[in-house]
Amino acid sequence: MSDLVISVFGTDRPGIVASVSKVFFDSGCDVRDVSQTTLQTEFAGIFVVTPPAGLDPADIEERIKKEIVSFGLDVFVKPMGQLEEVTHPKGGEPFVITAMGPDRLGLVAGLTQIIAGFGVNIVNLKAIFRGGNDPRRNIMIYEVDIPCNLDLTDFRDALARRAVELKLDLSIQHRDIFEEINRI
Amino acid sequence: MLTEREILSTLEMLKSEHLDVRTVTLGVSLLDCSSHDADVFRGRVRTKILTLAGGLVKVCNEVGDKYGIPVVNKRISVSPVAVIGAGFSSKELVKTARLMDEVAADAGIDFIGGFSALVEKGLARGDLALIEAIPEALSETKRVCASVNVASTRAGINMDAVYLMGKTIRSAALASASSDGLACAKLCVFANIPQDIPFMAGAYLGIGEPDAVINVGVSGPGVVKKAIDRARAVSNDLHLGRLSEIIKRTAYKVTRVGELIGREVAARLGVPFGVVDLSLAPTPNVGDSVGEIFQSLGLGSIGVPGSTALLAMLNDAVKKGGAFASSYVGGLSGAFIPVSEDLNIAEAAEKGFLSIEKLEALTSVCSVGLDMVAIPGDTSAETISAIIADEMAIGVVNKKTTATRLIPVPGKKAGEKAFFGGLLGEATIIGVRDGQSSDFVRMGGRIPAPIQSLVN
Repeated sequence: MSDLVISVFGTDRPGIVASVSKVFFDSGCDVRDVSQTTLQTEFAGIFVVTPPAGLDPADIEERIKKEIVSFGLDVFVKPMGQLEEVTHPKGGEPFVITAMGPDRLGLVAGLTQIIAGFGVNIVNLKAIFRGGNDPRRNIMIYEVDIPCNLDLTDFRDALARRAVELKLDLSIQHRDIFEEINRI
Repeated sequence: MLTEREILSTLEMLKSEHLDVRTVTLGVSLLDCSSHDADVFRGRVRTKILTLAGGLVKVCNEVGDKYGIPVVNKRISVSPVAVIGAGFSSKELVKTARLMDEVAADAGIDFIGGFSALVEKGLARGDLALIEAIPEALSETKRVCASVNVASTRAGINMDAVYLMGKTIRSAALASASSDGLACAKLCVFANIPQDIPFMAGAYLGIGEPDAVINVGVSGPGVVKKAIDRARAVSNDLHLGRLSEIIKRTAYKVTRVGELIGREVAARLGVPFGVVDLSLAPTPNVGDSVGEIFQSLGLGSIGVPGSTALLAMLNDAVKKGGAFASSYVGGLSGAFIPVSEDLNIAEAAEKGFLSIEKLEALTSVCSVGLDMVAIPGDTSAETISAIIADEMAIGVVNKKTTATRLIPVPGKKAGEKAFFGGLLGEATIIGVRDGQSSDFVRMGGRIPAPIQSLVN
């Protein structure tokens, strides 16, 4: 049986991961990967587990719902995607795109359209918009994988043009520079 | 996953604090270019340099773009011309300097170093020819830099060479009188010259170095100043031990950048990576100044009492942070205090806080020496030589590199301004106490190497 991906969403509070992981333990599911994040008041967690033979995915979804019903959370269970279904190329170079500027509608859409247009996959995204014209209050940080066969100059130029349209100050740099400077 | 703070603090260093790689210098050995025929020799020099350095600028720009870190200067250093051209006359060596200038232009770089001689223990025929060629070579070329090592801790001070350089500096200044003695801004006189300096005007490739090598000079005075300012804004009662720690950590970051860029440039060019030179190298821009760090650390100006102690701390912290960040450290590695190239230091000289004597004291605890110091045009060769001898003594006795880059500005007196342009900047001419040093200088000979025990 393939691994399962369980996503949990809702207003953050203590005990969410404990409740969900208790269900996994009780059901004999082996947890492979967990990632959680919070945005302002909201929690989102994604778990990859290997279920025991014969376990019905609908059954695990029901058990989690029952466990966390009092938290007002939503849960979604699906089989893990197969490698052949993954359409973005592997083995690219990790870059970081940073953009800051006055807040306005369409900043994420505007940049991600360019990123997607070049077939570049976003690995991590953190965006904060607190409004107003102070660039430091409106920041987007995209960690992306740039395919080896992509012309970096073309990509950089397209991003720079879009940044001008959106009045953003944009940088694109190889991830290693941040690692080298900040970490031993 | 990178943290927001890691990314934003790095961008701040780049955008507001002048973080860059100050120079990537390709060292090229020319030892295999020698020939009895000067034209054949120069042809080989041209071919070898352009074969190795043809892609230097392009590769540096590509790597700089990749990491978002500008490589401000791309340069070339070569084997000492006095060695590789030892059999030629000074006229042939002037032609060689012209060729080096052309090759540098063809490679798209602003300076090429190595019009150099090593004479701490004596002057060979090739050395004499090269030194004789210096005034014409430096005044007729734009990109060629010269250096002459006249002293070392093991050999002592070659006072014959010191006097010869005093006279050569005067001649070079007169040969470039229309540009305020600019030729002298490309001429360094050294004690204990390292073989792997990436910074001009002292860069040359030593005899013990590989056939080709990439050496990197980092910078970062603006980054250090801002780090100090930020820390003091948060807490105004930080003691100097804590501030030293902040400088050390900042130097670590700056050096990591140089190491990363240098290694990738070297790999792409297919040559070995040499060293990172951990120097704080200023430019004549606001916010890119070593002098401003003195004000951030509580002194009114560089040059006032306390400056030597502060500079000792700064230099030491930069070395400690940098040495931890890089596997191979070399070159000059210390804070530079080039008077005309640092806006703040130039102002301190203008206001009278810096004299030749105070600069000398500062150079006993930092890199490199009396650097880009404009002096009156009528300073005698003997007095220039005596100033050089004093500076060499500091290096020889303290087992460190020291140098002079003195510019006697023709037709101008103390208090007037000299203008060199670009990175070389402008400076107020500093007065020189002319106290009859000529008898001492003319005695010649070699001041013996200092004793290595009894260290007080």
